[in-house]
Amino acid sequence: MQRRDRGIAQSLGLPLTKRVKESRVLLVGAGGIGCEVLKNLVCSGFGSLPQYYGGEIASEISDMRRPEIVVVDMDTIDLSNLNRQFLFRKQHIKKYKALVAKETASQFNPSVNIDAQSGNIFDDKYDVAFFEGFDLVFNALDNLAARRHVNKMCLAADVPLIESGTTGFNGQVQAIKKGVTECYDCNPKPAQKSFPICTIRSTPSQPIHCIVWAKSYLFPELFGTSEEDSADVTVTEVDNVEEVAKLRIEAEALKTIRGLMGKSEFAQAVFDKVFRDDIERLRGMEEMWLSRRKPEVLCFEQFAPSMDKSEDVVERGRALAMKDQAIWSLAENLAVFSSAVDALSNRTLASPGTPLEFDKDDKDTLDFVASAANLRSHVFGIPLNSEWEIKQMAGNIIPAIATSNALTASLSVLEAFKIMRGASFEQKGVSKLTISHVAPTHNYMVTNGKEGFMLGGSKMVFLNSRSTERMITTQNLVPPQPDCAVCSPVYAKLRIPSNSSATLQDLVTLLQEKLGYEDFSIQADVGIIYDPDLEDNLEKGMIPAGYIKAGNGFLTVVDEGDEGRVDLVLSTSFTPNTTEADPESGLQLMPEEISLPSKHKSVAESNGQAMTTTEATGDASKVAAHFNAKRKRDAEEEVVGAKKRAKADEEVMVVEDDGAILLDD
Amino acid sequence: MAANVPTGATEPIINGTINLPETTNGAMSGVAVNGTSSTTVPGLSADEIALYDRQIRLWGAQAQERIRSANILLVSLRALGTEIAKNLTLAGISSLTIIDDDLVTEEDLGAQYFLREEDIGKPRAAAAIPRIQELNPRVNVVSGGRLSDLIVRDQTFYAPFDCVIACDHDSMTLSVINTAARFANRPFYAAGMHGFYGYIFADLVGHEFVIEREKSNIVTPIAFETLTRSVLSVTTKKENNGKNTEIVKKQEIYCPLILANTSPLPPDVLGSRRKLKSVPALLPCLRALFDFQRTYGRLPGHTSQDLVVFTTLATNKARELQLPSETLRSDFLRSFIQNIGAEIVPTAAFVGGRLSEDVINVLGKREQPIQNFALFDGDSFEGRIYSLYSAPPEIAMATAGLDGTMPMEGMIGMPNGMLMTNGVGNGLIGSNTPAGVSNGNAADAGMVFRPTSAPADGTGVVNLD
Ligand SMILES: [Zn+2]
Repeated sequence: MQRRDRGIAQSLGLPLTKRVKESRVLLVGAGGIGCEVLKNLVCSGFGSLPQYYGGEIASEISDMRRPEIVVVDMDTIDLSNLNRQFLFRKQHIKKYKALVAKETASQFNPSVNIDAQSGNIFDDKYDVAFFEGFDLVFNALDNLAARRHVNKMCLAADVPLIESGTTGFNGQVQAIKKGVTECYDCNPKPAQKSFPICTIRSTPSQPIHCIVWAKSYLFPELFGTSEEDSADVTVTEVDNVEEVAKLRIEAEALKTIRGLMGKSEFAQAVFDKVFRDDIERLRGMEEMWLSRRKPEVLCFEQFAPSMDKSEDVVERGRALAMKDQAIWSLAENLAVFSSAVDALSNRTLASPGTPLEFDKDDKDTLDFVASAANLRSHVFGIPLNSEWEIKQMAGNIIPAIATSNALTASLSVLEAFKIMRGASFEQKGVSKLTISHVAPTHNYMVTNGKEGFMLGGSKMVFLNSRSTERMITTQNLVPPQPDCAVCSPVYAKLRIPSNSSATLQDLVTLLQEKLGYEDFSIQADVGIIYDPDLEDNLEKGMIPAGYIKAGNGFLTVVDEGDEGRVDLVLSTSFTPNTTEADPESGLQLMPEEISLPSKHKSVAESNGQAMTTTEATGDASKVAAHFNAKRKRDAEEEVVGAKKRAKADEEVMVVEDDGAILLDD
Repeated sequence: MAANVPTGATEPIINGTINLPETTNGAMSGVAVNGTSSTTVPGLSADEIALYDRQIRLWGAQAQERIRSANILLVSLRALGTEIAKNLTLAGISSLTIIDDDLVTEEDLGAQYFLREEDIGKPRAAAAIPRIQELNPRVNVVSGGRLSDLIVRDQTFYAPFDCVIACDHDSMTLSVINTAARFANRPFYAAGMHGFYGYIFADLVGHEFVIEREKSNIVTPIAFETLTRSVLSVTTKKENNGKNTEIVKKQEIYCPLILANTSPLPPDVLGSRRKLKSVPALLPCLRALFDFQRTYGRLPGHTSQDLVVFTTLATNKARELQLPSETLRSDFLRSFIQNIGAEIVPTAAFVGGRLSEDVINVLGKREQPIQNFALFDGDSFEGRIYSLYSAPPEIAMATAGLDGTMPMEGMIGMPNGMLMTNGVGNGLIGSNTPAGVSNGNAADAGMVFRPTSAPADGTGVVNLD
């Protein structure tokens, strides 16, 4: 024990300190929360090979169990990160976050082992076996897709996950463990905000409608690939079918204008098409404007007196685009529009094969969207906005501050202590009350059968910055939702030699023989590949058909029989050592024994404890607001309940020095 | 400064409300921008907007300008100070002056991550400052000299600072700093941590702030919300998306640490058995620790004699707070004692992070600040805030002199620190000279600000210009 470990050893006690040092943890994300989590982990001694271990034992530990912190992040450092991602400096801009984070954080504790990987967590190399190598996984991500992916991988690998997120002053932390707690997907996440196509294309009433129009319709029609429909816009029931058809024709007409790209009249042609001709057509649909203000037609020529030749407009627009805080006038928007069209046209012509995509940090694309959105806002009598404001709406920028990240990350690591303490009890099979170091105040909950005491007393924790009474609110973890499609299945592995000629029929046979399946279906990434009425694929090879691929593929086996056993999710991978494989097909199920309880039973078991919560970790602010009232009540009841359960321990005892109190080195 | 503060002694009190004039600058504006009006601060540069983009999107350019002009004094740079220095430097304050001349030990390296092995034996602030400075070259990070010098300084030293933060020290040292900051009419924060446990104390003297929220059907009355908080004004603005936002300007008034440490729990807690039961044992334990330090000049060790003394103190404190006897459980007491003096980074990050958030909001004059004592328990994930408020005697007396009501009622909404703006020599702190504290003679210091003790000049009337 080094003197620098004194604080952590004193608070955690020696057994947990040792466990922390020996641990191997994964941190997914080295951004706002990630930098802070990494600091906490490094300074608390996670993955720092203990000195008293000595060289000989250290060498026996395989690479996959080596005490260390693995950090995975694919992003590079941007200027706007530096206000909160404190492991990065200005000279690190454009470098990989994971690598710089390691470089800076390693200095906080010389004995820490950090493996920094500038990779995408969706990559094949981060398969279930990779996740199985960790005691604990920390999510410090900024998007739903990656959160859901890591959630699933941790369920498949049966590794506890600590999920976290922040929005502005809000933040939350949730511990997840397969079969013990709810998973990230147990509760539906709010769907992406989407607008009816007619609101966007014909009857906008808010700035966001015009921004979506510029970003998701006009920009891709001119500079991108227009065939795919944006998720921002959908045809809904309220949309007028006739109008939708007309809009299609309108879009076709715009495509023909693309032919003018590179010519000096291109910007004017686009402008007059979308702000004059299309608007004139809309004005003609009288019934549309019975209860709305009629749009105003704009014409490029209108502005002719204020400009000499197109070169100047482009120059002027370029200069104006630097002033992203100001709200540009109509003529200024036109100038920025012209210069952005000019710049984007040049880029498109320079590399014709590569369509452009809107990116809030690509200034040309942002200039285009901001000016086009403002021009359209003017047409429809909607207030104009500065480019800076439009950037936030177009780029879905979430306000982020250093302190919320620090608070949330600190709670993540405090949760980790809880989970690791709980895990050590499980492993050693001892009662929590016999452990002498830092008796957790909730110990008695275990002995009293306190519901919700999971993962060593881990909680769902929310920052509560606006409350005058609480800095945080907590909620007990709850058991998995029995019908959750992601965590209710049994997870197992299916291995196959990379040169195997096994067919789908081989897999079907294996499932029938080994697991007693009769009526069932199999779903791969491509969709359903087998069910009792779908036998077309049976002769196809598993590998050539793409049913099994290297990395993190999954096959879901659904029991269609009357008894209805829970779904079986098979994570697929290539066998490292072919000699172990089944001689017939090479297909190998792991583990040997797979127990599949019936769906019915599983639901019945869990019903007693299931709670009606619908929170979403992805959108901390809404959720925090929505649930604060309930949580406040819960939290208070929890305290009262706990106290009720507690045996009256009225006399304050003097704590004896029984060896539990540390520590002089 | 004083011109913006409603001068309480002369303001008429009508129906228990103080007539607070609408001022263009809030009571603390002179403080927040260090004597210069925020309108004289030139706008943020494009570079600054790009760097601080994600936070400006949360609190706005005006708040960022206020933050940019703020000078902060930070006393103690251990684990908590490390977090606070990091957060405030990242936020982009004008200057951070750090006072910590203790010599770096090997134990410090565990949680104070701006220190390296080669710093052992060097003064702490001097060793860490270059690494803090790296976080943001726009901030001027400097050493403020020695602690022994600080505690004999008067309010003129504090006047240039927009906020004073002191961590880790015993209650007497904290009170000396608190008192001097109050005389300078400067907001003061204190914080401490012991392993999983920590606290934040705030004495913002008097603080005006703005809260923006979606307008509801319920009208926000211009009235007192609590003993210490009042609504000053309400305006409404229409957002782009058609919703209405309500802009509510509020004021909180505060008392110094020395009073908070003996204040009862607020009436709403004392009046509710449920709330009283949920008060964490951490509160009496922290008060007991302050008392132990004051008596013995050190933290309790693990000898049974110390444990007996500490347990007795904590039991008395719990009783004083009117907590139910089951609050102070032996397993908690054991855990607390185990953690005394330990620094771990996650707790420091929470307590220091929450304190920094409050400071940033106070500088920006936005959001509800802590009133006035926040407790963090990283073992059970609890973070409660209690208003432990007793009216400073000058406010109580001045109010009593005005309308003849008892201080407990009249003090409500009483504006802050008007006494402190010129308060030297009014005798109130005569027995609490810094020198008296620094040599450990603090036996009666705890009485200095007790509401029951008459001010030394016996009049209770405050000299105002
Ligand atoms: Zn689930």
